[in-house]
Amino acid sequence: MLQLEPQNLLIEETFNTALAPGYEPVSLDRILTDFDFTTYHISTPQDKTKILLSIGIKCWSDLSKYGALELLQKKYGGYSFVKILSQGSCEPGYDVSLYIDIEQVQLDDEAKLELINELSLLKRNCFAAPFLKAFARYEVLAKETPVDPNNLYGEDSAATSNSNEEVLKLDYRGEESIYIKPSNDRVTVIFSTVFNDETDKIFSKVFLQEFSDARKRSIQKAPQVINSHKEVPLEIQHIAPPSDDKTYITFVLFPRHLSTEDVKWNSITHIQLFRSYFHYHIKIVKCYLHQRMRFRVQSFTKILNRARREVDEEELRAERKTASGRRFEVK
Amino acid sequence: MSSINTPAVVMDNGTGFTKLGFAGNDSPSWVFPTAIATRNTSTGSSSKPMAPSKPSFLSSGTGNSNSLIAGSNANSKASSIHGNRDMADLDFYIGDYALEAAKGPSYSLSYPIRHGQIENWDQMERFWETSIFKYLKCEPEDHYFLLTEPPLNPPENRENTAEIMFESFNCAGLYIAVQAVLALAASWTSSKVIDRSLTGTVIDSGDGVTHVIPVAEGYVIGSAIKNIPIAGRDITSFIQTMLRERGEADSSLRTAEQIKQQFCYVCPDIVKEFRKYDNDPEMFAKYIVDTVSHKKIEVDVGYERFLAPEIFFNPEICSSDFLTPLPIIVDQVIQASPIDVRKNLYKNIVLSGGSTMFKDFGRRLQRDLKTMVNERVEASERLSGAKSSGVQVQVISHKRQRNAVWFGGSLMAQTSEFKSYCHTKRDYDEYGPNIVRNFSLFSVP
Repeated sequence: MLQLEPQNLLIEETFNTALAPGYEPVSLDRILTDFDFTTYHISTPQDKTKILLSIGIKCWSDLSKYGALELLQKKYGGYSFVKILSQGSCEPGYDVSLYIDIEQVQLDDEAKLELINELSLLKRNCFAAPFLKAFARYEVLAKETPVDPNNLYGEDSAATSNSNEEVLKLDYRGEESIYIKPSNDRVTVIFSTVFNDETDKIFSKVFLQEFSDARKRSIQKAPQVINSHKEVPLEIQHIAPPSDDKTYITFVLFPRHLSTEDVKWNSITHIQLFRSYFHYHIKIVKCYLHQRMRFRVQSFTKILNRARREVDEEELRAERKTASGRRFEVK
Repeated sequence: MSSINTPAVVMDNGTGFTKLGFAGNDSPSWVFPTAIATRNTSTGSSSKPMAPSKPSFLSSGTGNSNSLIAGSNANSKASSIHGNRDMADLDFYIGDYALEAAKGPSYSLSYPIRHGQIENWDQMERFWETSIFKYLKCEPEDHYFLLTEPPLNPPENRENTAEIMFESFNCAGLYIAVQAVLALAASWTSSKVIDRSLTGTVIDSGDGVTHVIPVAEGYVIGSAIKNIPIAGRDITSFIQTMLRERGEADSSLRTAEQIKQQFCYVCPDIVKEFRKYDNDPEMFAKYIVDTVSHKKIEVDVGYERFLAPEIFFNPEICSSDFLTPLPIIVDQVIQASPIDVRKNLYKNIVLSGGSTMFKDFGRRLQRDLKTMVNERVEASERLSGAKSSGVQVQVISHKRQRNAVWFGGSLMAQTSEFKSYCHTKRDYDEYGPNIVRNFSLFSVP
């Protein structure tokens, strides 16, 4: 399992069974989670055939500021049987609820799969809003001040630097934030992340170095990755307070990552999972090291066991002694 | 940390099946086989198939010892250095996908848990890693974990578990509970339970083996535990043999299992039940098998409806080397426990596990036990002349029996006190792995 999957398997499974032909309605009441303090609640509060899917996201206030609700409306509003409840009307304790009347679902198999997929991607869809907003802003900026083709190295000239451009900020885990900054030739996404464990910090350095190097080596199409520890990147210096234990990872999305709708969504899917992906890999690296260590210990024990001197019966008999150290012969 | 509001993760890794889910739910979110399919390496012939390929910096630094260990393997190791970037350690499946993948030639299947205890830590670590990140989709740093262990699990295994949970996954907090205690807690949902104590006898019958475990005040009385080599698998194969002997059209393991789950029940008296069947053909059921080719095959279901679960009470009908009926074993277990808890052990006999789900299983067990206990009480009254206050025998069956252990864990972990019983990552860093040798018990609300 190299990649984390963006969809939530449990939601997928729930709706796969609920929308399958011959489904016998049962009452549901389940709590599920996703990364970054996201909680779902699937329940059937009134009727067994009406499923309420609620989502609670830690940084919902930020997301809704950047138009998450409108995006959800666009994504799910097309389905007549899905009601989107938000603010006052949604389930208490959660941020948005989708009320799905499964009796009204009349779709062919392909459309059904599409719907299930979209439902299981609910978290990504919520997180996509600020990204899409930044992408749209980039398009406007790119039209206003087209990139100078002579400026090969992408240096910021005084005229084109968009230092006053608004930076979109998501406090997606409380202490840790995502910053998104559009400009006329790129969109910069900066993650700040905190490691509670000292060893993790060291792993993360090696790991991030690998990220920056990978691009040089073979994958030229990947977005540029710049990482810095403690030092706040220039783009966000005016809004992020300096802090000692934060690591900043900057992704630079170039126009080729934003060319078409599909490519855009692909970029969003991957980039919003980055923090989880990063922490996940640090953990499995440790698992891998543990495996190696166990193997090593086992093989050393084997050698030690081989080195043990065999004691024969004669010697054993001669060496009998009492607890006080007195020797005696066994006849 | 801000992990206070996230639901705790409850993981019950059994020999056959793993139950995963979040505290507060009434059923586990995932139930799948505790199986892992790992990629066959090209050096599969070596004595240690689990050895992951070695990164180049390791093998070059320890050249001497390497030649000692690997011996004739040295050549193949050298070639695997080249391939160490292929992420072979990430190429595996767990659960149902593992069973699926193992059908092909390139994966081999293994079960990291044997007899309830973790045997292969490498595989278990990877199993957990996938269950947490792929199936539960949670960041372990944000969640508390409740794991289960079988009774008489050596403390070293607990330490190993804690090492993995805290050092690999950095989980926020950990509680390791004994399965039998959780099964007792799950029985609190039954209306028959009044006083919610953690004293009782747990009959835990899964797929492979049946345990009878006495628990006093939350502590397992280890010396009195007894195992019975009859469990779900034996019942299924018993049904299968009966189907085969009758020459039914379909006698696959799956069919036998379906019949077991849908039709079997426990009867009060076999002789009467046989007569009932002979007088009334209505009792014979029909099971319809859907084959792959959409043909419907009818299978008659006869005496096995009540005979199959009967092997708990009369083991001689299927096994020749184990002959003690379940009620007698339960009685022996309670008699082997300290005298001051025996009364409470008789009063609270709790069923757990899929093989105790047969209709009237609890009632029959209670009746048989009661007869035995009453005889003993009478005999002692006759001999001593003193009037006994009587012994109450009560077998409790409830709706959550199938996943009782998991459900008990979910109940425990959703209480507000749960997190204070856990050992946190900070405690672990301070004291080291031996901190998990002791967990404070849940106080009874």
